[in-house]
Amino acid sequence: MEKVKYILASLVFAALLMSFIPSSDKKEIGTLTLQFNHLFNNEPLVFGKEYKNAHGEKLTVKTLNYFVSNIKITYKDGREYVVPQDSSYFLIRQSDAASKKIQLNNLPKGKCKSVSFMIGVDSARNTMDVSKRTGTLDVAGIAKGMYWAWNSGYIFLKFEGKSSVIPDSLSNNFYYHIGGFGGFKSSTINNIRTKTFDFPKPVSVRKNSPVVTINVDMAKLFQHKTDILLFKNSNVMWGELSVKISENYVAGFDLGNIDY
Amino acid sequence: MMKNRILVFVFILLAIITASSFIGMHDQKLLQIQMPTNFPPPVYDLSINPVTEEGFGLGRKLFYEPMLSRDGNVSCGSCHQQSAAFIQAGHDFSHGVDNQHGRRNALPIFNALFYKTFFWDGGVHNLDLVPVNPIENRIEMDEKMDNVLSKLNNSSSYRNLFKQAFKVDSITSKEFLQAFSQFMGAMISANSRYDKYVRKEGETLTAEELSGLRIFEEKCRSCHATDLFTDGSYRNNGITNDFRFDKGRQEVTLNEGDKGKFKVPTLRNIEYTAPYMHNGSLETLEDVLHHYTNGIKPSDTVDSVFRKKDGSLGIDLTANEKKNLIAFLKTLSDKEFINNSIFSETIDR
Repeated sequence: MEKVKYILASLVFAALLMSFIPSSDKKEIGTLTLQFNHLFNNEPLVFGKEYKNAHGEKLTVKTLNYFVSNIKITYKDGREYVVPQDSSYFLIRQSDAASKKIQLNNLPKGKCKSVSFMIGVDSARNTMDVSKRTGTLDVAGIAKGMYWAWNSGYIFLKFEGKSSVIPDSLSNNFYYHIGGFGGFKSSTINNIRTKTFDFPKPVSVRKNSPVVTINVDMAKLFQHKTDILLFKNSNVMWGELSVKISENYVAGFDLGNIDY
Repeated sequence: MMKNRILVFVFILLAIITASSFIGMHDQKLLQIQMPTNFPPPVYDLSINPVTEEGFGLGRKLFYEPMLSRDGNVSCGSCHQQSAAFIQAGHDFSHGVDNQHGRRNALPIFNALFYKTFFWDGGVHNLDLVPVNPIENRIEMDEKMDNVLSKLNNSSSYRNLFKQAFKVDSITSKEFLQAFSQFMGAMISANSRYDKYVRKEGETLTAEELSGLRIFEEKCRSCHATDLFTDGSYRNNGITNDFRFDKGRQEVTLNEGDKGKFKVPTLRNIEYTAPYMHNGSLETLEDVLHHYTNGIKPSDTVDSVFRKKDGSLGIDLTANEKKNLIAFLKTLSDKEFINNSIFSETIDR
């Protein structure tokens, strides 16, 4: 009986709290969707399909996962909206179409000038306790396989597949597991990449959500600032070369269509 | 105006009722963790994950649970044995699944609340994430976290224990790791004769031990600092100059200057934790002191603290000083801790 009373009281309290939210606020809220579109050499990326990188090496892809976090919208009038930290981590997976769409709710209405985000997980979150690693960051859940246990930190981008230029002894497999948040206590490699996408003309955030497409061309991983050859470097994880790779792949992130 | 006041009053009243209803639902029993007065402040935030009787008991059960390993043969307690102050007695390298050997000597795991980093190379920096490392290490337990959780979720007794400790119906990494942190966090070793002496609890040290303490303060304290007996830094103590198979801290920082550096270990309970050093290469405390006087191997990163005025490497200690130092080091043995049954494996508590 006591419990029932408490539950009732809680309900009343919750209802009371809700009523305090000014109704005018609801009108000021808009949504914006980021749609990630994966490509290889401007062609749609399909697992198992054969592509050729800039060095003429043939390859097929079986995994593409990466974290997108700390999304920030800048408005034409200078205002900024930062997606609240606790709901600001997304794991984009080629294998899961739903994961490639990020819908940002509760945006203040207005004309947006640009969007920026990190490809990776910020250093602060990489050192937090487990109560701050739920949902997308759960190392035994969604983030399974996207975390290094011995060198504690998230893998920011994982790109795997096969190429005939890689010896049979390695089962023709290539692995690029790129992470590194800059180090705890002593500094080390930092592969957190932040990119800003300026809209060609302001995007109006309204109730009917505009969809901003971000094209991600993975061919750039092999050639941008540094040439990465499957033949020479088919397995890159923790190490200096990973910095060159993240510099390369960040160049593959580009603004695509904006649809209303 | 009046209406507003009444509204505020009702609001506060309801808030109190609501809050108390939550407290009422919370029937886990909090365990008081005493922080030793001679220790630095804890690093781990227990207010996020308060130690409860249920959580601690569950953490202990998990600690001794071989199901956490791939082949069901290795538990955390296999390589961290209480009688050896939570290292594996007599092993330079511990055995993992399929009887494979690791490449580093197991570290003691007590007083974990007070450390900023974990493992010999400092690769993990939050206590909660510590268990993931041995569980997923191929030569230790060689399991995957999601698989561990599905095994636990398939066990009605574990589901029940997690429900009691965390009020959850299904087990996720958050509760699993928090249970571990509660158990390991409660493992505080601070009742050695030395502790009782420095805290003026009526303990006295012999002339020999006091002389050892003075030598310790002069010649060892710079690295084995504070009453944790480590400054938490990484140093190359010249135990080897062959870094081909283990580069130590460099593997984490990728900095050439960190090659062969390992965490300065605590000296607490050192009497029970032979063999010594990251590679378990020294059998006795006499061997350890001999290493520091005569055995430091030169390399580019060997710590400058060992450099004498004449340029040679080592710490000057006479035979008598060594004897007294060892007498002192044995005052760091915490018999209450290694015999405390609340940390022991027992069947059906």
